[in-house]
Amino acid sequence: MKKSKIKSIMLHLLLIIAVVITTYPLIRIFSVSIRPGDRIISTDLSIIPKGATFISYIKLFKETYFIKWIFNSLIITLSTSLIGVILASSAAYSFSRYKFFGKKIGLYILLFTQMVPAGMLILPLYLMIMKLNLINTYLGMIIAYSVSSLPFSIWILKGYYDTIPRSLEEAAMVDGANEIYAFYKIILPLSTPALSIAFLFNFTMAWNEYLVARVILYNPKSYTWTLGLFELQGQFITQWGMFAAGSIIITIPVLLIFLYSSKWLVSGLTLGSVKG
Amino acid sequence: MAEVKFVKVKKTFGDNLVLNNINLEVKNGEFCVIVGPSGCGKTTLLRILAGLEDVTEGEIYIDNALVNNIPPSKREIAMVFQDYALYPHMTVKENMSFSLRLRNFPKEEIEKRVNETAEILQIKHLLDRMPKQLSGGQRQRVAIGRAIVRHPKVFLFDEPLSNLDAKLREEMRIEILRLHQKLQTTMVYVTHDQIEAMTLASKIVVMNKGVIQQEGTPIEIYKKPQNIFVASFIGTPTMNFIKGKITLENDKTFFIHKERKFFIPSYSFPDSSKYNGKEVILGIRPDDIILDDSKIDKENAISARVDVVELLGPRENVYIKISDKKTICATTHSFNIAPHTEINFSLNYLNIHIFDPETEKRIN
Amino acid sequence: MEYLTSFGEVLFFIITVLIGVLFIEIYLYLHFKLYDKKFYFFIPLISIFIFYLILKSINLYSTKTMFFITLGEILFSYLCVYRIKGKNYLPYMLVIPSFIGLALLLVYPFVFEVYLSFHDLKLTTILPWKETGKIPFVGLKQYINVFVLPPLSETTFWQLLGRTFLWTFSNVFFHVLGGFILALILSEIKMFKGIYRTLLVIPWAMPQVVAVLSLRGEFHSQYGFVNIVIKKLISTFPFLEKVGVAPVNWLSDHPLLTCTLINIWLGIPFMMVVILGGLESISKSYYDAASIDGATYLQKLKYITLPLIKPVLLPAVTLGTIWTFNNINVIYLVTGQAGGTEKADILVSALYKAAFVYNRYSYSAAFAMVIFLILTIITFLYSKIIKVENT
Repeated sequence: MKKSKIKSIMLHLLLIIAVVITTYPLIRIFSVSIRPGDRIISTDLSIIPKGATFISYIKLFKETYFIKWIFNSLIITLSTSLIGVILASSAAYSFSRYKFFGKKIGLYILLFTQMVPAGMLILPLYLMIMKLNLINTYLGMIIAYSVSSLPFSIWILKGYYDTIPRSLEEAAMVDGANEIYAFYKIILPLSTPALSIAFLFNFTMAWNEYLVARVILYNPKSYTWTLGLFELQGQFITQWGMFAAGSIIITIPVLLIFLYSSKWLVSGLTLGSVKG
Repeated sequence: MAEVKFVKVKKTFGDNLVLNNINLEVKNGEFCVIVGPSGCGKTTLLRILAGLEDVTEGEIYIDNALVNNIPPSKREIAMVFQDYALYPHMTVKENMSFSLRLRNFPKEEIEKRVNETAEILQIKHLLDRMPKQLSGGQRQRVAIGRAIVRHPKVFLFDEPLSNLDAKLREEMRIEILRLHQKLQTTMVYVTHDQIEAMTLASKIVVMNKGVIQQEGTPIEIYKKPQNIFVASFIGTPTMNFIKGKITLENDKTFFIHKERKFFIPSYSFPDSSKYNGKEVILGIRPDDIILDDSKIDKENAISARVDVVELLGPRENVYIKISDKKTICATTHSFNIAPHTEINFSLNYLNIHIFDPETEKRIN
Repeated sequence: MEYLTSFGEVLFFIITVLIGVLFIEIYLYLHFKLYDKKFYFFIPLISIFIFYLILKSINLYSTKTMFFITLGEILFSYLCVYRIKGKNYLPYMLVIPSFIGLALLLVYPFVFEVYLSFHDLKLTTILPWKETGKIPFVGLKQYINVFVLPPLSETTFWQLLGRTFLWTFSNVFFHVLGGFILALILSEIKMFKGIYRTLLVIPWAMPQVVAVLSLRGEFHSQYGFVNIVIKKLISTFPFLEKVGVAPVNWLSDHPLLTCTLINIWLGIPFMMVVILGGLESISKSYYDAASIDGATYLQKLKYITLPLIKPVLLPAVTLGTIWTFNNINVIYLVTGQAGGTEKADILVSALYKAAFVYNRYSYSAAFAMVIFLILTIITFLYSKIIKVENT
């Protein structure tokens, strides 16, 4: 009896240490974000500093384009995810249900694109977008982002469609529907979990993206929040307070969404990745 | 070879009382089957004996030594699991020799024991295969072999046959019986299948809701169940239970159910006078209902309508409606009974069981 | 208001895409369905004309492109009439829009990259290219340069290669070790398991940019948490100073170490979650049987746990290795600003910097090809290892 209690306490202790390591940085960001204006840069380690204020948050909204950054990110991310999911849902359906010449090749191409390092394609994409004069526009960004979202979405949705038994469509067709109708009225509603997962994945990828945005957007007004936050933490001038405030504003919703949907996401991951 | 004793064993999981004051002795060389429905605590009892769970209260003795604080590997027991638990990444031979290798037995001894055991179980040709290449029955044998190789004092079986199909189950039952005859080791076997219990055990322990309902030889349990639970659990088809009243008429005892009057001879229910006018429950097994005209007690026969007849091959189940809401089942080999006909029957008075409706205990 | 116009922009774009898809579908439908009609041959002609108009309007017209389009159209029409013949065309209609997108945005860039690597596109030749579409051809020169000239200013290819391997293996090692230990602990406890699990996953759930930049801040030589704690330790326990414990200039003196520490913090939760899943799928009866057989805790780990989580572990480690190998984010975010150091660069981050900071486009293209080849070899080797493990 006693042995197991001691063991249990030790294990919990180790876990608590680990939890401190994972959560402390976030707590630190929070404390930095509420430091009073005259002591933003300091060596103070306290979690709630003396004279805590929200002045950094106010400065963030007043002196930077923070709101615009978030707006930019939202537009780009939403568009990419929408297009990705719309195009992918039909493509994935045909991969799942039909046999056609080029199916195998198509699947291999999808797999192939997952393996190509992102860095490789940024350059030619950048040059293409530059030639089309779409640098520093929403359009350019959305084009660039759709690249990674499509193959991945198709893969996940195909995996999900594979688990829906064909007897459902067959029943619909016996009842008189044609294939397109069956797809829209029966399969799509059933795939809402997979569609949401694909949407969520695309959204997360595009939302947190930094490198491609760095290359395409050069005007501070058109930055996404990732670029904006990076600006605030320059090599020589670090706007600790505003950076921390912005970080908190971005991170809290992201964390909440992640935690809320985490069970879902895990099953979604396994859906798409179970392959020979 | 060893004796196993459970003394005042109690086990709770949090608020849940799973085992309540269990006292049980298994003698040297006995084949003790613990039988009961799911959740009755039998597996927990077995696991406590194995050392995989701790007791909340009470003592466990193996071979007269107190083993409460001794880890499983040192109790000199071996266990056969329901899902065989064969290490999937080891060959049959490696599976069987695992425990011996852990104890650093000399190589020749390991070889000798593994080969002996493989011989007994006829699995010598499977020694180099992996578990996933074996059929269910073969895996079962390997699991048993893994236990035998240890030369334990007590064998523990946790529902070993429930994952096999019916035919295989029959074959393996016989195998296990043969094994016990050959090895003569004490065996404690847990199952929910009463047929396994009846065929394998030298002693049956019926459990329900953490309490031992009755212990005894198979015949004792079958012929003289001590309460309604045991009576209903053992025996196929299930015993018929009829609610009714006892009345005494001129020194003759009758059991009245709705309009039916069943005669009960005094040797069947000696204490009947105590229960005059009281409600009791009459239990009668389907094969103790006599339908054969030549054997019926004509004086006290009951007449009723046949509801359904089930043909089972060697026999028929005849469902007789004795009242609006009550149908009882009788078995027969005559095959000439049609549904919706009238039929006469009487009871085999030697095997009537009477139970007190409140305590559910046997009163005759 | 600004927001409205940009909103309008994007709405316009989405509608354009949808219209584009509609056009594609109509195009396909006309070709597939009307293949057997007498007037069919008008359709390819009209299509070619429409393509011509589109190309002219978005400024991508050239005789070469037009030639290929005409060729393609004729080929496609031929297929529709003589091969496909109106059968089984539905899947193509569903798949083709996406694949056109993929072809434009993935296949074409890839091909373009190859093309670039054999030419010489850099800061001085980029304007002429924009006007005329021509860049000087240099054959294999860029590829030779990759191995001979440093991509940035000092570090050579071989240094980068070595550093990348070091970075990859040390990261993956600690990711798996840390994840494994945490998963083991989690699988043994009952109370608060869910809370621990949720909190321990935070490094993975946080947006990477926020996490990396904040941790970078904590390694700041004066105001970062790490050095502040070290200073406090030294002032409380003076003997530590004699042993050599002192505040470190993390970012300037040990950039690679800093990046590694940050990346380990980021990567452990993923491994933990994967391994925990694997652990929980192992049936308890194996451990019970082993208890009875006499195995100690370590023996159970060795003979049961490790072999049985291999199928889950191997893909995770493979993925993790490839992601770590390709991880530009952490290195760039920590060291990439103007005035940042080269000393922590790995192959992919040097590639990025060479292309966008030094504008050596063709060089980078060749560089990218070389990296891609290395990756392919590694993936190939890994899949061989996995196949061997699975038999």
